[in-house]
Amino acid sequence: MGLKRNVSLATALRYKGQGPFLTYILHRIGGLGMAVFITIHILASFVGGKAGVFVNSIYENWLFQIFIFFCVLFHAINGLRITLLDLFPKLLEHSREAIWIEWAVFLPVYGLAVFVIVHTALGG
Amino acid sequence: MQVTLKIFRYNPEVDKKWHYETYDLDVDEKERILDLLELVKGHHDGTLSFRRSCAHGVCGSDAMRINGRNMLACKTLVRDVGDKITVEPLLGLKVIKDLIVDMEPFFDNYKKVLPYFINESPLPADGKERLQSPEQRARFDETTKCILCAACTTSCPSFWASDDYLGPAALVTAHRFIFDSRDEAASERLHIVSETSGLARCHTVFNCTMACPREIQITKAIGELKMATLTGKVD
Ligand code: SF4
Ligand code: FES
Repeated sequence: MGLKRNVSLATALRYKGQGPFLTYILHRIGGLGMAVFITIHILASFVGGKAGVFVNSIYENWLFQIFIFFCVLFHAINGLRITLLDLFPKLLEHSREAIWIEWAVFLPVYGLAVFVIVHTALGG
Repeated sequence: MQVTLKIFRYNPEVDKKWHYETYDLDVDEKERILDLLELVKGHHDGTLSFRRSCAHGVCGSDAMRINGRNMLACKTLVRDVGDKITVEPLLGLKVIKDLIVDMEPFFDNYKKVLPYFINESPLPADGKERLQSPEQRARFDETTKCILCAACTTSCPSFWASDDYLGPAALVTAHRFIFDSRDEAASERLHIVSETSGLARCHTVFNCTMACPREIQITKAIGELKMATLTGKVD
């Protein structure tokens, strides 16, 4: 008797875990995004023909490039933060500050990259 | 002040599905969420079910999701959560009735880490205490504060995915004994927590640390355990 223990994705995403939980969710999105990108990339080179050109046009699209650059950069910087905290557990007391530093590094680098991608795409 | 309290309701004897019920209450902003639940149970609907015992943040029986986040109902004031309050049961454990969840899987995991003092050596010559320096005692002080409320474990995405995962609370208890200089079963416990359903499932998400009503640095304790399994050192 009783309700099942299953936690749906929608319920999990609604949990108010604040800043650290947001980085966890974005880290997973980044990982999935890269997996999708690599799969499309490999498929495109095998498929060839019209379908291949179509697949290529997806990942050459500047909107997709903005997305994939987010995935790679966020996954890398967040992964570095987690690795450092895991290697030096004492630093885990300063997790909040570590997340601020992460955003302080990520936002300007990503902003610059988005600027360059958009500028190039719009014929700059 | 006027508050709207929305409560997750499920009675296995009459309901096929859970639902919310909403109560408009006139309360003081310094009252606790537990007081509001008592008010509803006493004056609006006596069938409302929830756990509580000490009402002072000591027994750990009234952890629940308050406005989407795990907290103790007896330590959360109305003024800290606002006038629209939603109360739901903990995630990742079966709901038995309303806000009461089945704590068995949580305590099963707790038992796996041997949550008791182990020392088979003969007592010291005076037959009294096994002495320990203040520094040795301080080493695990933080993790002695756990009240087993389950707020941490049920905020953890790895536990939501599978209740095989030991979970933060069991790991906090493992830490409490592993780093106790008087205990002699550190290597046995390190072996238990390093199995696949243990430390490897912690992805340093921090939900546990944010949820702990005792402000235990849970992720740090788990980090120290991870290091101890790598180095084999527990000092
Ligand atoms: S570590 Fe904190 S949140 Fe987890 S069970 Fe113990 S007191 Fe509750
Ligand atoms: S009722 Fe005991 S901790 Fe809240």
